[in-house]
Amino acid sequence: MFALEFPPINEILRWREVAPSLNKVGIIAVAAALIAIVVFILATRQDHRKAPTGVRNFAETTVEFVENGIVMQTMGRDGLGWTPFLLSLFVFIYLCNAPGIIPILQMPATARMAIPAFLSILVWVIYNGAGIKHQGFGGYFKSVLFPPGVPKALYALVTPIEFISTIIVRPFSLMVRLFANMLAGHILLVTFALLSEALFQARDKVLVPFGVLPMFMLIFLTGFEVLVAFLQAYIFTILTAVYIGGAVHPEH
Amino acid sequence: MLTAVITHRGENSVQVKLVGQSTGLVTPKIEAEEGQDMGPNPIAPEGKELLWGGLSFVVMAVAIRYFLFPKLKKGMDDRYAGIRADHESAEATTAAARGDVAEYEKALVAVRAEAAAKVDAARQTLDSERQAAINELNSRIAARRSEADAALSAAREANRSQITAAVSAVVTRATELSVGRAPDAAVVERAIADAMAGGSR
Repeated sequence: MFALEFPPINEILRWREVAPSLNKVGIIAVAAALIAIVVFILATRQDHRKAPTGVRNFAETTVEFVENGIVMQTMGRDGLGWTPFLLSLFVFIYLCNAPGIIPILQMPATARMAIPAFLSILVWVIYNGAGIKHQGFGGYFKSVLFPPGVPKALYALVTPIEFISTIIVRPFSLMVRLFANMLAGHILLVTFALLSEALFQARDKVLVPFGVLPMFMLIFLTGFEVLVAFLQAYIFTILTAVYIGGAVHPEH
Repeated sequence: MLTAVITHRGENSVQVKLVGQSTGLVTPKIEAEEGQDMGPNPIAPEGKELLWGGLSFVVMAVAIRYFLFPKLKKGMDDRYAGIRADHESAEATTAAARGDVAEYEKALVAVRAEAAAKVDAARQTLDSERQAAINELNSRIAARRSEADAALSAAREANRSQITAAVSAVVTRATELSVGRAPDAAVVERAIADAMAGGSR
């Protein structure tokens, strides 16, 4: 009466190779970088003395969002020097997330582990490097492993926890949060798309009208993924800002 | 109601089948060929994706950090500075205009006070001149009236004397004709004067 063949999970992640060393994830990553660069180039070419419109308005709004919504909220005025890096991170992640709901592409590049892993390791290197640069090697690890105000007897407990949470868990949590959220959204969309198709094509015609239910769910989830794509980019970026701010100014 | 049956198939494959309760399993089997590529590992990062993703991000971040962001930010800062300057200039112009309005209102009050004083002075002058003219006119009227009264009195006295003389002549002649002798003129005149005085009463 009703048959649904759900593909294996690694099958829904299979992207045809465009070239031996380039697949769709690579294409999306390159396209994300190119789109961002082109948008900013077009924005900088407009007359800055006039009220911004179009692409310049979009670019300036993004810059102000990162400055006011992320940097000022987490690092304060001292952190404004980090705006270009955080802006790049936010824009790149968002543009890698967005293809999850773009027809034909229909998969976020961040639903594969590579890009979240690279960005998380980069952030790990940067916040530890920034902490060492500002406080010195000893000073940074002292502030991380021996937080001030803690009774000395508790260091035996607190120091391993701080080491694990700050040095080991942070990059994994950043990586897995982004990857898992985007992969879960992708699997949900695939599930409801397949279910809709199976119901619409069921041999028993009584089941056909019920195909609209998963289809409506699919439409709702597609809208939801628009929000998730933005939210995950924002969360990754704001956590990066928090980690850098904490490493540079441990007293905060 | 449908039931999902999940089957682990080999190392890299999971098969999900939805089963209808009334008819049982009707899903056709999809068999994975031994050694067939079942797609990428869902957890492990692939080298080429790391390379392209990392390279793209680094290129983009460098372009934004060293070329695009500074130019965009400089434009934004210049425009904001211009807007701030225009705003401050507008505030200064507004303050100056408010000062001008205050000065104008102050001058207006002074001019109105001066005008009121002038109007009052003119009114007083006019009143005094009118009063003087009225007084002069009244005095002229009074003089004319006294002159007229005097002329009237003189004319009346002259008429009275003429009438008295005429009546005295008539009475004296009538008495002379009736008694043969002329009466005393003084008596006649006094009698006529008394009679005229009594008549005029």
